[in-house]
Amino acid sequence: MVSDQPSSAASPREVADDVDEVALARVMRMVPLGAAVLAGTAVALLVAGYLLIYILVFLPRGTVG
Amino acid sequence: MSDTHPEAHERWILQTELLWAFGVGVFIAAALGMILFTALTMNVNPPSNVERINPKTLHLAGEFAEHNLGTAVGSDGRVTVRAIATQFMFLPHCIAVPANRPVTLRFASPDVIHGLLITGTNVNTMVVPGFVAQVHTEFTQTGDLLMPCHEYCGLGHSEMWATVQALPDNEFKPGPDGRVSCAKR
Repeated sequence: MVSDQPSSAASPREVADDVDEVALARVMRMVPLGAAVLAGTAVALLVAGYLLIYILVFLPRGTVG
Repeated sequence: MSDTHPEAHERWILQTELLWAFGVGVFIAAALGMILFTALTMNVNPPSNVERINPKTLHLAGEFAEHNLGTAVGSDGRVTVRAIATQFMFLPHCIAVPANRPVTLRFASPDVIHGLLITGTNVNTMVVPGFVAQVHTEFTQTGDLLMPCHEYCGLGHSEMWATVQALPDNEFKPGPDGRVSCAKR
């Protein structure tokens, strides 16, 4: 940083709140689980859609090659 | 896992990622297995046929001459359809095929790239000048099916379509020369 520029810490609004480390750790423990559930649900829906179309639409339309 | 041990937390995240990777691996293996299974047991494959033909002369003689277009049943009972995709029509305009019997479709183009699909079936191919597009299939339904050109081929592209008449066995009657025309309706 150029030395003649003010630090953002000069403004009280830019200074981070006090963090409760225990609470932060508790939240951070849940974050990967939530991400996994969200991504898992999205991928499961996509895979289910693919399987349904493959089995119920593509295969009954007959052989091709 | 403990709040006081970030290493344990990171280990747990790594385990989650490995579990995810394992799940993705299982899905890819299942999808590939399904494709392989249907390919081996049901002959479901991407149509692939590299067979050259001269687009300048294909209408003059040989397989795609006018008298040879349409549906033909060979002496061995094999059903073969030959058609030309040209600006802006399919020749013939109506193609008769039997339902629930193996059919070989062969297409050629004398001018530009065309494409076709037959609605309600898995038939879908490009017709590239210089090559014969070939698709093996079996029609699982009867009735009139629309076969439009699905590759933009010029100003009349939207008018380029044909009808595929999938006939039940008792209506699919080859003539003495083994040729079958569309039933009049």
